[in-house]
Amino acid sequence: MIFHFNGKPVEAREGDTVASALYRSGQRIFSRSFKYHRPRGLLCANGKCPNCLMNVDGAPNIRTCITPAREGMRVEHQNAWPSLELDYLSFGQHFDWLMPVGWYYKMFTDPASWHAVEPYIRKAAGLGRAPEPGYPDREYEHSHRQAEVAVIGGGPAGLAAAIEAGGRGEQVILVDDQAALGGHLRYRKSGAETPEALVARLRQMPSVEVIAPAYCFGLYEGGLLGVLQVNPHAGAAERLIHLRARRVVVATGVYEAPLTFVKNDLPGVMLSSAAERLIHLHGITPGRSAVVVGEGPRAEEIATVLRSAGVEVAGTTAPNLVVSARGTSCLTGLQTRDFDFPCDLVVVCGHRIPDAGLIAQAGGRIDWNAATGAFMPVELPPNVTAVGEVNGLSLTPAVELPPPELSPSKRAFVCFCSDVTTSDIVDGIGEGFDRIETLKRYTTTTMGPCQGRMCQLPAIGICARTTGRGMQETGTTTSRPPNPSVTLGALAGPRHHPIRRTPMHDRHEALGAVWLDMGDWKRPRYYKTAGCGGEKQCVEEEYRAVRERAGVIDVSTLGKLDVKGRDTGKLLDKVYTNRFSDLKPGRVRYAALCDEAGIMLDDGTTSRLSENRWFLTTTTGNLDFVQQWLEWWLVGSGWDVHVTNLTSGMASVNLAGPAARDVLRKLTDCDLDTKAFPYMACREAAVAGVPAVLMRIGFVGETGWEIHIPAESGAHLWDAVMKAGAEFGIRAFGVEAQRVLRLEKRHVIVGVDTDALTNPFEAGMEWIAKLDKDDFIGKASLERLRALPAQQCLVGFVMMEEALPEDGAAVLIDGKLAGRVTSARYSPVNGKAVGLAWTSASVAREGAEIMVRVDGRPARARVTGQAFYDPEGARLRM
Amino acid sequence: MSFQIPCPHCGPRSVYEFRFGGEVKARPAPGASEDAWFEYTYVKVNEAGVQKEWWYHRSGCRQWLQAVRNTRTNEVLETFFPDQNA
Repeated sequence: MIFHFNGKPVEAREGDTVASALYRSGQRIFSRSFKYHRPRGLLCANGKCPNCLMNVDGAPNIRTCITPAREGMRVEHQNAWPSLELDYLSFGQHFDWLMPVGWYYKMFTDPASWHAVEPYIRKAAGLGRAPEPGYPDREYEHSHRQAEVAVIGGGPAGLAAAIEAGGRGEQVILVDDQAALGGHLRYRKSGAETPEALVARLRQMPSVEVIAPAYCFGLYEGGLLGVLQVNPHAGAAERLIHLRARRVVVATGVYEAPLTFVKNDLPGVMLSSAAERLIHLHGITPGRSAVVVGEGPRAEEIATVLRSAGVEVAGTTAPNLVVSARGTSCLTGLQTRDFDFPCDLVVVCGHRIPDAGLIAQAGGRIDWNAATGAFMPVELPPNVTAVGEVNGLSLTPAVELPPPELSPSKRAFVCFCSDVTTSDIVDGIGEGFDRIETLKRYTTTTMGPCQGRMCQLPAIGICARTTGRGMQETGTTTSRPPNPSVTLGALAGPRHHPIRRTPMHDRHEALGAVWLDMGDWKRPRYYKTAGCGGEKQCVEEEYRAVRERAGVIDVSTLGKLDVKGRDTGKLLDKVYTNRFSDLKPGRVRYAALCDEAGIMLDDGTTSRLSENRWFLTTTTGNLDFVQQWLEWWLVGSGWDVHVTNLTSGMASVNLAGPAARDVLRKLTDCDLDTKAFPYMACREAAVAGVPAVLMRIGFVGETGWEIHIPAESGAHLWDAVMKAGAEFGIRAFGVEAQRVLRLEKRHVIVGVDTDALTNPFEAGMEWIAKLDKDDFIGKASLERLRALPAQQCLVGFVMMEEALPEDGAAVLIDGKLAGRVTSARYSPVNGKAVGLAWTSASVAREGAEIMVRVDGRPARARVTGQAFYDPEGARLRM
Repeated sequence: MSFQIPCPHCGPRSVYEFRFGGEVKARPAPGASEDAWFEYTYVKVNEAGVQKEWWYHRSGCRQWLQAVRNTRTNEVLETFFPDQNA
């Protein structure tokens, strides 16, 4: 198997990770450090430290020591120039005296100096580069799973727990982050148990499922686990599993963290478990001559392992005797108080730390235990158990904590992620950041990619010694998910955006629709017809068709509610501000609703089709809200009302213009004469052979009908209307033309011309608030508001010069900011721009002059209380 | 926030299936004092502890329900369909 590292081929064997294959090929430097660009080599070989982060197939910051090698992979180093072996940026470490702890807070107190150097610091420091747009070419998936028992960790304890629960017939999901199940049994032989035997038993259990390799990054309330699987299948880059479990068994075991001595970060200084992994999992001899730093049985055990792999063990030394590692870019020896060992490998028996992050973040208590030298879980969150080594019971301290003495050094590293040394920690405490949480934020210890796994315990030890507080009182920093880190793309999920299309979508497409996104809906903004110049010309032609002949617009996106029942009138009287119980069958009324504070929430039309059948429309975006609002006020009322959402079930068009009646007459037997079917009336009749609801309303200000028919006949109706209208010069019009048409009529769009503070009085719509009703939602507030003088008013204005304000343009009175334009369009009838604006109530009178800022300069406008077109509404009633 | 709400109709479901509807409060009678309306409209108890609240199961049975929830722990102690619009 061959993959490429910085363009050069590297051979990998079955079972290799990217890092193990590189190590076998002779690679010793795997990364350059965040701040000083110091060379770093394999440290944990277990995905817990930051030392082997590389770019793999375009993805930055990949932990190569747990990433299986695959044929054809492209692996590249990060944060080094020109190469890992020769990194010119490492000259920076000779200026470390310029960069004491918190140096950028101290040095760049003036924003100008920070902005001047920030780009260079950003370039010099850091991790991988963000991937290019379009990465990855595969999806991020989400899936939702459930289990009675979730076991996190596939070591001996986790396997045993899964087998036990599986034996009871419980549905179990086991999550393990390693290439194979078995945990430390894979590389550390102990007793009679072999992982193969346990795994074979597990595989026979029908109710146990294994998700691996995958890592659990969070345990949230309600037993929800975040689990991430990389490369779940060929079509997906990553899969995020929302795993909900009744019980969670944490079997995450222990991990090893480094000891602090001078140059403890040199490539060649390795944790004992990493050496074991290289030897037993990958058949790699990690060095020629090694010194073991450690004491007792563990040191003896690892020395035996090294010898068996053909490594000469030059000596074993107690951690407190170590003075310094030697070497510049790679290890050449170890200096102790007694000896000077030449060696190319130092194997450190480090702190063994219970991997209890999941327990801590879920609310468990973690206490210091001096006998084991570890912070151990002592109280577990509900429905969580901990099994095996994560309990810490069999641990022994690697070194004394807090350390008996300190000799701070600028080359003894505590935090490998962001190059924080023992002297940085001591200095930080000296500067007053003497609590572990503030020390963390000031020095950034525990805040890097390793999330504190490598550095937390040494940092707590130094803090405890320096402050004299002891380990328990010093405590740990807060554990929060996600840990380990998760790709943002995986959290964001699949790049699927829902789109809603009306039943006439294809017809619009064929007519050259230019689309507008309205929530999830696609609506034609205008139609780009052949021979039509730009948007302005197209919209004006659509406008003229409606004003002079006939136009048709797809309004299927309107919210449509079927409301049935004897008490519907009572409900509508209560929820809407207007009165409906007296609405006669066959009539339509404008409907607005407010909340209890008197704020306008939505508007639409209410048609009474028969005594107990009503048909409501809402604005496109507010349908769900209005339906839930109606149903909420129904709860417990005992009223006979049933609300059904018909929005997707009905297609709707608005046919309007002087010739609309002539067009519609060709399609229906319904008497359309204005005496038989007056303005604000509704009828049920067949249109183009399909049962329809017809409403004679006038949003655009011309004689017109809104026609609602079953969705499956939407395209048929559209075709029929277009065909019948051809002889009258009918034209489809889009949202933009409709906005011009309605604005000329001064019709307010709730949510565009109103906002979250608008009441009907200030909006100039006091007629919708029927305060003589006994009760309705918002009545108490509206009664109070009516008595108060209005501060701001929604006014109409006509520009007095050639200028078209943008929506949102500033309104000026006496040169001072006094409001904003909510809608403005060029009005063909007026030959000038017209619009609506919120402004001071003092100018809300006919003929008052205001200034509107257009293109950065004030332009004159005249306030008017009337509609800009057909103020008497005569054309609606023709 | 990842707790579950035991919907009286659908059973335990993720909180993301629901819309929060606020604290359960009694609406004053028509003609009540301005203070009473002010309290009802603007003042929230914001209880740190157990409170009764409205939830709408929008991705399920689409019904309004009430839940008794501990706002400190997100433990949902009880859910039911109310028969009075309290």
